[in-house]
Amino acid sequence: MIALAYSTVGVLSFENESSFAPSYGLAMTRALILLRRRLVGSVFVLLIVVIGSFLLLEAAPGDAVDAYIVSTGGDAGMIELLRHRWGLDQSELTRLANYLWALLHLDLGHSVTFSRPIRDVILERLPTTLILMGSATALSFGLGSALGIYAGAAPGSFRDRFLSVGSLALYAVPGFCLGLVLIVVFAVDLRWLPIGGIETIASAKTGLERAADIATHLVLPVSALGVIYLALYLRMMRAGMAEAWRQDFVLAARARGLPRRRIVLAHVARNALLPLVTMLGLQSAQMLGGSVVIESVFAVPGLGRLAQEAVAGRDTPLLLGIILVSAVLVIVINLLVDLAYAFLDPRVGASEAGA
Amino acid sequence: MPELTISRRGLLAGSALLLASTALPAIGRAQAPKKGGRLIVAADSEPRNLNPAIVASNGVFFISSKVVETLAEASFDGKDGLEPRLALSWEGAADGLSVTFKLRDGVKWHDGKPFTSADVAFSALQVWKPLQNLGRTVFKDLVAVDTPDNLTAVFKFAKPTPFQLIRNALPALSSVVPKHVYENGKIEDNPANNAPVGTGPFKFAEYKAGQYYRLAKNADYWGMDEPYLDEIVYQVLPDRTSAAAALEAEEIQLAAFSAVPLADLDRISKVPGLKVVTKGYEGLTYQLVVEINHRRKELADLKVRQAIAHAIDEDFVVKTIFLGYAASATGPVPKNDPQFYTADVPTYPFDVAKANNLLDEAGYKRADDGKRFTLKLLPAPYFNETKQFGDYLRQALAAIGVDAEIVNNDSAAHIKAVYTDHAFDLAVGPPVFRGDPAISTTILVQSGIPDGVPFSNQGGYKNAELDALIAKASETLDTAARTELYREFQKKVAADLPLINVAEWSFISVARDTVGNIANNPRWAVSNWADTYLAR
Amino acid sequence: MNRLHRFFRTPEAIAGALILALLVAMALAASLLFPGDPQAIAGPALLPPFQDWSLPLGTDRLGRDVLAELFHGARTSLAVGLAAAAAALLIGTVVGTLAGFAGGLIDEVLMRITDAFQTVPGFLLALAFVSIVGPSLGVVVVAIALSAWTGPARVARAEVLSIRERDYVAGARVIGMHPIAIAFREVLPNALPPVLALSSVIVAAAILTEAALSFLGLGDPNRVTWGGMIAEGRTVLRTAPYLSIVPGIALVLTVLGVYLAGEGVVESSAVRRSLS
Repeated sequence: MIALAYSTVGVLSFENESSFAPSYGLAMTRALILLRRRLVGSVFVLLIVVIGSFLLLEAAPGDAVDAYIVSTGGDAGMIELLRHRWGLDQSELTRLANYLWALLHLDLGHSVTFSRPIRDVILERLPTTLILMGSATALSFGLGSALGIYAGAAPGSFRDRFLSVGSLALYAVPGFCLGLVLIVVFAVDLRWLPIGGIETIASAKTGLERAADIATHLVLPVSALGVIYLALYLRMMRAGMAEAWRQDFVLAARARGLPRRRIVLAHVARNALLPLVTMLGLQSAQMLGGSVVIESVFAVPGLGRLAQEAVAGRDTPLLLGIILVSAVLVIVINLLVDLAYAFLDPRVGASEAGA
Repeated sequence: MPELTISRRGLLAGSALLLASTALPAIGRAQAPKKGGRLIVAADSEPRNLNPAIVASNGVFFISSKVVETLAEASFDGKDGLEPRLALSWEGAADGLSVTFKLRDGVKWHDGKPFTSADVAFSALQVWKPLQNLGRTVFKDLVAVDTPDNLTAVFKFAKPTPFQLIRNALPALSSVVPKHVYENGKIEDNPANNAPVGTGPFKFAEYKAGQYYRLAKNADYWGMDEPYLDEIVYQVLPDRTSAAAALEAEEIQLAAFSAVPLADLDRISKVPGLKVVTKGYEGLTYQLVVEINHRRKELADLKVRQAIAHAIDEDFVVKTIFLGYAASATGPVPKNDPQFYTADVPTYPFDVAKANNLLDEAGYKRADDGKRFTLKLLPAPYFNETKQFGDYLRQALAAIGVDAEIVNNDSAAHIKAVYTDHAFDLAVGPPVFRGDPAISTTILVQSGIPDGVPFSNQGGYKNAELDALIAKASETLDTAARTELYREFQKKVAADLPLINVAEWSFISVARDTVGNIANNPRWAVSNWADTYLAR
Repeated sequence: MNRLHRFFRTPEAIAGALILALLVAMALAASLLFPGDPQAIAGPALLPPFQDWSLPLGTDRLGRDVLAELFHGARTSLAVGLAAAAAALLIGTVVGTLAGFAGGLIDEVLMRITDAFQTVPGFLLALAFVSIVGPSLGVVVVAIALSAWTGPARVARAEVLSIRERDYVAGARVIGMHPIAIAFREVLPNALPPVLALSSVIVAAAILTEAALSFLGLGDPNRVTWGGMIAEGRTVLRTAPYLSIVPGIALVLTVLGVYLAGEGVVESSAVRRSLS
């Protein structure tokens, strides 16, 4: 069961950190060491990501000009003109070198699809994706662990099995199917919620009103994305709890005659919760991938859809920028999770062993 | 009014709907146009360059034609199928060396500056001729534009250029942009390409990438009382199924360009408050064409090409793939073209036995597994229907012992594979007929086109007789003689099959029935919508 | 026998095994029951289910037999799932074993590459890869494997790290076996079971990824896949919902079956691993 959670998500722990002294006072120092090690490692990882993606995109049949003339047509002279203007007549190596050099100056380059600096294009979409991912993660984590506690409080009971298999069934539903069904039911037939987008278009709403508007628009996509990953937390929670029931301190608590509810929440669930925090970080890359499809179904202008547009338009620097930004995002999230962990649990190193 | 030549079912459906709901002028008057309101329209793509003077394509026009106007627009009942916009009249010289335009007086750009002949001269010489995808061909011999006064522009050509061609090109190719905005710096890099400035009924107001475009009413528009609408908002809906849902949920009021899938039309036409409109695209006919790579020795054999033509059941294609919203094709000019079309061409009725015989005669006998030879088939990915036809064609070819393997590419890869690398045997393409064979049709047959030119003859077909015919027609000034040459062209193409024309189709709009004055010209979806209104 | 007995202890595992057995039966029977091309046009287009008993589940947009497509689709979905899982496990195990056994710089480099693959959202990678190379079944399998091999690689490495210090490995070293031979003959077989435990998850993920790629128009048009059927059906979702629902149910049941059966195997075998 843990294996399920474990590999679907992709375990993104970097190295087995050296074991830490179990003293809270040293937590800060440990966090700093961790931070430094991760940063150095991340630079190499990002370099591999950039060069790998660049080479992959170079192998693509058709370039930005081919993608552009789909809608326009044009003669040989015009095509040559465009290739020259967009710098596509230079050699691959020159372009890779130029790209890396610009990257050193934190310049992501210029998008031919949008005729704008890539940094601006990405920054415009990033908040949307962050809100979507954040809310979906909160939903799957919150609801998943709550249901997991409910299921794990009585291991082997009917409700345990029902929730466990039921959530797995949801996990087996392709995200786009769930999205389409939600749209038909809640937006078209019942008209409770908008069918898509991130906010009412050109509504000139501000402040709280706008926030409420965005929240309404997010209900369906967040549900579609979050409900699917619910299974991960639910099953991990109940598995962790099943394990915790057998631990000495729980047995001791039961022997002392503590109320069952108290044992469940204060002892069993609390101990099972820690691995879920790790999962939170590990799952971020997965969710970013899942949001590609969800953003397309719900017309949410986020990073995932931008990636699709970049691929379709053969906008190499834009796609590189997106991959780079999402990689940084994944690294940062995992770092935050690990840092939080380093404060919460002094044995952090041990739990990462072998991953 | 030119006859609607979509299939019989389409025709019937179309006229019934017209009577029921579409606001043709005669019917529209029953309800006086109301002023004000915001029209929300589905947009399935976000064009990267919104300047219609540079990118003359329907995706760009759909948004920009409301902002930037052309010299003339297509019309159901105007002379030569045109009605005035920025030009009031156009006159070609007998020698074919000049065309004189008289321009509309009192027109202002959106920034308040007056519109003059200098803007037309600038657009023609600096934009259409050197930069525009289609203008580069049509205006290639344009050498000067004289401006004797502010309201007269005289186009001068180095070689005789048929006036008929210029006239037919006006609706799509003559978007006029302001000289004072574009004259400094590189035209291609001008910020106005993404926020166009024009003379049209609507001003470009706002673009939020991935969300919407907003156009706002131009209070100074030259048209009396126009425009009626306060705003047009294009909501970006990338998923193919979302337009229908958005219409039903009353989040949008109009989905043009068949944004609602054909198979959904029957159901959606029964939804109260929605109407299906098949008119308004007569000037935007798409052709379903099987492109052939004549470098393949089997396909270089006319008998094999004839066999393939006989193997395709055009009736099935029209009825099942296009659900009746199309017409079968006879040749390279669509049936609904009022000027050039001729039905007097060789035809290839659906006949599998005959197709099999032709292949036997050609010497390609069936092997033991029933297969004669294998082909690589590349359906263009731009439309559902081109992909579905690809699936159908594979089955149709299987019936005559030809094993077709479908290669599924995205747009960029398809263009590269077919038009640059020639890595195909058969391809399914949807070329657009733009009102004159010289604009985008003859290029599909003509030889000597460099590699990499999209939507052109990249199949290695070479026919000196046809090349001569095309060359002659391009410099024939007399309209009747020129038309006759293109009829000859249709016959020869249908006889020699450099490509196989299967069907012709256009698009469908679905709108809430409060939207008035829609589909009242043959290029309605890409016209200026000055008289479109919302009844509330 | 004992293990088999343990496997069938839970109803979930039994259900999973039944679904899988049915799936395999469908895949095997496909060409017996529906010989010929499942994409051949068999009747009028958009025939609803249960109208014509020669076409029990009706026909799609072009008049193809939905039941025939469903059976042949079972074959493709299963093939994609198994092939992708096999490829991912192979790459992962080789990389993980090399990294764990060699240690030092090789370990460092291989693990950084693994990190890089894990940092890029897997679906994004698959999407880019398929759009670039062009969608065919083989490419889809490779794309899925590319985004799924990192899990097995990490598990394999961890196993190898713990195994390589054991006595029998030291023994092999003493008798002068080549390090590569030790790695793949002595260490790998023992590191394999926990890695294989991941296979059900990868198979399920592969089937879902294939469906999502088809949904975005990146499926192989020459083969019937359930994902492709859903993608085609969704344009007529409201008019002919059965075209999406039938393959949709098949897909969900299959993925669920694979998970449940996989879990049964993991729980019945002794090699349960836990994170902490």
